[in-house]
Amino acid sequence: MNGMAALRADLGIAWAIARKDALSELRGRQAAGSTIFFAALVLLLFGFALGPDTRRLAEAAPGLLWLAIVFGGLLTVARLHQLETEDGALEELARYPVERRAIYLGKAIAGLGAMLVLGGLLLPVVAILYGIDLLAAAPALLLTLVLGAIGFAAVGTFYAGVTVRLRAREVMLPLLMLPVIAPLLLAAVKATAAALGGDPLGELASWLQLLAGYDLVMLLAGAAGYGFLLEE
Amino acid sequence: MPQTTIYSAPPRSPLVPIPAVATREVARLFGRSAALAGVSLEVERGRMVALLGPNGAGKTTLLRILATSLRPTFGSAHVDGIDVAERPELVRPRVAYLSHATGLYDELTAAENLRFAATMLGRPNPAEAAARALAEVGLEADAARRVRAFSAGMRRRLALGRLLLAAPSLVLLDEPHAALDAEGTALVDRLLEGWRAGGTTVLVATHQADRITRLADGWARLDAGVVVELGGAGVSVPTAVPAPIAEPVTAAAER
Repeated sequence: MNGMAALRADLGIAWAIARKDALSELRGRQAAGSTIFFAALVLLLFGFALGPDTRRLAEAAPGLLWLAIVFGGLLTVARLHQLETEDGALEELARYPVERRAIYLGKAIAGLGAMLVLGGLLLPVVAILYGIDLLAAAPALLLTLVLGAIGFAAVGTFYAGVTVRLRAREVMLPLLMLPVIAPLLLAAVKATAAALGGDPLGELASWLQLLAGYDLVMLLAGAAGYGFLLEE
Repeated sequence: MPQTTIYSAPPRSPLVPIPAVATREVARLFGRSAALAGVSLEVERGRMVALLGPNGAGKTTLLRILATSLRPTFGSAHVDGIDVAERPELVRPRVAYLSHATGLYDELTAAENLRFAATMLGRPNPAEAAARALAEVGLEADAARRVRAFSAGMRRRLALGRLLLAAPSLVLLDEPHAALDAEGTALVDRLLEGWRAGGTTVLVATHQADRITRLADGWARLDAGVVVELGGAGVSVPTAVPAPIAEPVTAAAER
């Protein structure tokens, strides 16, 4: 099989896996709903804790937005792998005669979709609670959200694969993952702050470039390493 | 000189066909306990062979090794002459495996589960292949129902339908009659006959010795992880199971 045909085949498999995960996630609404509620509650509680000072709220908004995304995202990527533990589905998935990187890509696409929905729902919550004008910064904010979500899904899919067979997976996933996504969080928070503040120092592009580079490295590393996780 | 190869490959004449399944002293440890303790077995192509034995005999472990879900701790296992541990990616397209677990997705419908499997198996028209398989296992009327609402027997039938999507040279079945009613049991028998008529090699692990040995060409009885008895045609202990060329403990110590 030549390179293009192999790529097309991988993308077809990845899409089938992502679609299957999305359907399962949408139909098992309770879990998705509780994740969104939990992330929104984080924003609400921090809003109350910071008080009515609008300047203080606006300064804290980028960090708190990404904190809520990380909390919700951890639950989301873990749940997408949890689906595979029902009735031996992970072993069945690993037995299909497909490239392991295609399975990783499918899981990462499903994770990315869920993260974008989560981020898209949290942005208006941040705007209302923290008094931010979203429309003025919308293109830069959306680009930051997409790049941040790609990196989070790339790393989260890999580490959810690492921990899916562990009994203490709920504890191990954040322990393993948070140090690795520290650069992503730093860049995402800085880019969000720059976007919301009108980018007076012209640093937005640098943070976005860092995010894009991080995403590329993590996607390639995840695709290369995920196959080992599927082996017993 | 340190000895790293404990067993050598057996000599084989080019005129002798490669067996569908060949295991050499295959062993599998889970912690300190051995689920398989050295099974050497050959199954001829196109034969149906029953794996018999009590619970804990090693039947499921042997099937999982052949299905590439487990790696042997020692020894080797080959499907169509391909080492399952060395080249699992070449073995997977050749093997269809029905395990105890059905591997189905609860929130998907029966049709969606099979369409997904058909896509993963590279079928050119997944929807059509899924519809045919559903009809074959008698679940057409339930195609649009979510699997969450299925009984254990219906899940088993659907998992059997998934086997029909593949074009394997080796079918591995672990207790295929489990949870099935009379109609489902007849379905399994019909599928077994179909595979045999099509020249597919079938290995069935079961407690229902009477039912399977009526259909099977041969049988092997396992107990405590080793083959204790063989019968019928198509299954044998390889004549040239090589003796260890170095005592394993000594070899390891030398290394």
